[in-house]
Amino acid sequence: MGGAAAGVLAGARRMTVIETLWDSLPYLLWGAFPEGQLGGAALTLLLSAGSGIASAVLGLAWGIGLATATGALRTALTLVLGFFRAIPVLMLIFWTYFLLPFALGVSVPGVLSVMCALSLVGGAYLAHAVHAGIRGIGAGQWAAGLSLGLTRWGTLRHVVLPQALRMMLPSFINQWVTLVKDSSLAYIVGVSELSFVASQVNARTMIYPAEIFMLVGAIYWLLCTGLDRLANGLAQRAQRGNWQHKSFSRKGHGRFA
Amino acid sequence: MTRSKFIVSSLALAAGFFVLGSSAWADKLDDVKKAGVLRVAAFDGNPPFGYIDPASKKQVGHDIDLATEFAKSLGVKIELVPTNPANRIPLLTSGKVDVVFASFTITDERAKAVDFTTPYFLVGQQFLAKKGVLKDAAQIKDIRIGTEKGTTMEANLRKNYPDAKVVLYDDSPFALAALRNGNVQAITNDGVKLTAQWNAIPDKEKYEIPAITVSREYLGAAVPKGETRLLEALNTWLVDSEKNGRALAIYDTWFGPNSKAPLPRLLKIGDQRVAAN
Amino acid sequence: MIDQLREHLLAPRYIGWLLDGWLATLWASLLVAAGATVLGVVIAAGRSSSRPALLRLTGAYVSLFRNTPLLVQLFFWYFGAPSVLPEAAREWLYAGHLLSFEFLSALVGLTLYAAAYVGEDIRSGIRGVPVGQTLAASALGFTRVQVLAQVVLPQALRIALPPLLGQYMNIVKNTSLAMAVGLVELSYASRQVEAETFKTFQAFGLATALYIVSIGAIEVLAAWAARRQAFSPGRAA
Repeated sequence: MGGAAAGVLAGARRMTVIETLWDSLPYLLWGAFPEGQLGGAALTLLLSAGSGIASAVLGLAWGIGLATATGALRTALTLVLGFFRAIPVLMLIFWTYFLLPFALGVSVPGVLSVMCALSLVGGAYLAHAVHAGIRGIGAGQWAAGLSLGLTRWGTLRHVVLPQALRMMLPSFINQWVTLVKDSSLAYIVGVSELSFVASQVNARTMIYPAEIFMLVGAIYWLLCTGLDRLANGLAQRAQRGNWQHKSFSRKGHGRFA
Repeated sequence: MTRSKFIVSSLALAAGFFVLGSSAWADKLDDVKKAGVLRVAAFDGNPPFGYIDPASKKQVGHDIDLATEFAKSLGVKIELVPTNPANRIPLLTSGKVDVVFASFTITDERAKAVDFTTPYFLVGQQFLAKKGVLKDAAQIKDIRIGTEKGTTMEANLRKNYPDAKVVLYDDSPFALAALRNGNVQAITNDGVKLTAQWNAIPDKEKYEIPAITVSREYLGAAVPKGETRLLEALNTWLVDSEKNGRALAIYDTWFGPNSKAPLPRLLKIGDQRVAAN
Repeated sequence: MIDQLREHLLAPRYIGWLLDGWLATLWASLLVAAGATVLGVVIAAGRSSSRPALLRLTGAYVSLFRNTPLLVQLFFWYFGAPSVLPEAAREWLYAGHLLSFEFLSALVGLTLYAAAYVGEDIRSGIRGVPVGQTLAASALGFTRVQVLAQVVLPQALRIALPPLLGQYMNIVKNTSLAMAVGLVELSYASRQVEAETFKTFQAFGLATALYIVSIGAIEVLAAWAARRQAFSPGRAA
């Protein structure tokens, strides 16, 4: 116990920048694993992947809802989606972390409440992309499906959606990149993803703030650029042979922040 | 059309949550014993009360030792939740933790939202500054001071030195980084934490803790409001640990003469608070 | 009954804190939007140029600032960047002669981040201007810079207005991150109020409502702008 105290409180020999960065790299990449819970960049990837899948599901459901619902239901849906796109993600994390458990009566762990917040926001943006995608499929496709005897739902499922989703794949992956960046906000509620462990490392080492944040920035950049390349590769394969070059991720209220 | 509908719909959504949330909690002590786990919020960036040990990567510290022994006395495991000062009360009120052991100053306002134990530590609010910058209390209003959101430090400064320029950060490591960069000229916190931070910086000869104390702070552990059985169990354990010497032993580990931040002990658990805060 | 209600509401001084924070948010958003648009035009011009060096440089800028989280960028500008400046320059910056350093570093960080997105949107706008316009202008004797500034850009900005307004909404939301570097904007104020009054719901609720009002105002502007565009004859689409 005393030794542990001495570790931080003693003025240890001043380590060089490279030594410090190299030393902290494992903690930055996967946190306290395997002695403790997974953290760092690994947790960032898991958090963003989980939110990505959840927001894709939500976005699909809401997008189909926007395309097919009418009247009061559609207005309500538009308002709810507008709310999630108008609120800063930081505020939504405050809500889901502190107030949602209060309302539901169960305690929600930090990672889940951050995923919840990110999925709601991501889903709201994807809903509009899905909606635009469904509307963008030519009327001829709808007509063809209906004339073949499929119901509206059948046409949606078997004819329109597959084409729309293929075109929207880049959108979904762009969303994943955005989620990787947004996961950095989880630091405010103590989830040990990359930004949080970076500030812990900075607190411990103290003398190299610029270098540590640059290293962390570089790790994020690698993650995001890698995912972006993946998105572009998939987009090119999806659009090969498809003469309709609509890019849904960049129209109107595209979400880039 | 758009704007007012937005406001109305979001307020309605929020009001709905508020109405749902009026359910009562079950007795916390029973819940803890049934689950076999005591969830404790503790600092992860404030040596020596709570910080991350670089070798083991685990949260360690004076408060964590106390919490671990309390959990043992209940016969349950401990689960530590890292927190910063501003999250302490929200973590309790939202049911995410059962106890807060994070150098939590006892104040009357806070006592309206949570229940405090008997004090287990006494500190004074002090400053850490570059040598020569802060020599007496009259200079406080002229310099830029950094501290943390959600602490009594800011409230005390505002009460006693309303003209001081205060910048709030999310946690003490950020405040310390700001001091070392020069973003602020002094940081204020309880003297114990400042001493530990000061001892850890590589160029500590450039900094000093002037002999200025703004207030006396009694630290206590906190439980959710109304959890009387949990509070009683904690209080009983704290007083007993003083009687059987465990409290002193834990104190000596972190603040005793052989530790890295020796400090004379100002308070024995069970002593009454001398001054209201 | 009134007293019970009053107990649940925030006291006027705390509402005042929140409103002050809201004004700071609006002011910062305005400055960032202006700065990002100017810088965005420069970046868009660079991304549309034919010189490979310029193309690569601006491409690297966009990649760097879009693929790293804004939070890390803000930390860098506040905690990291000043360490490369000489001591005297640092002291002058921190003393906050014109603007507090918190505000200044937040502005720098937010503007550079937003410019990367605004730049890409303006670039799409530039691509949307029919190439005939550029050819006609060159034929009339305009230099390349004049073509860009007087013929292409005005049309490009009009085309890019919808996504640009979307970016301005993002700018307003992104100011909330500046609370991590000490800027007293709305999210910072809401935490302060919550820490003092423990009325979590009321503090966050009012802050959220104020954000929604701000974003809603920009949405209304966007809808009005779209309608105006639809009805004006003879404008290049």
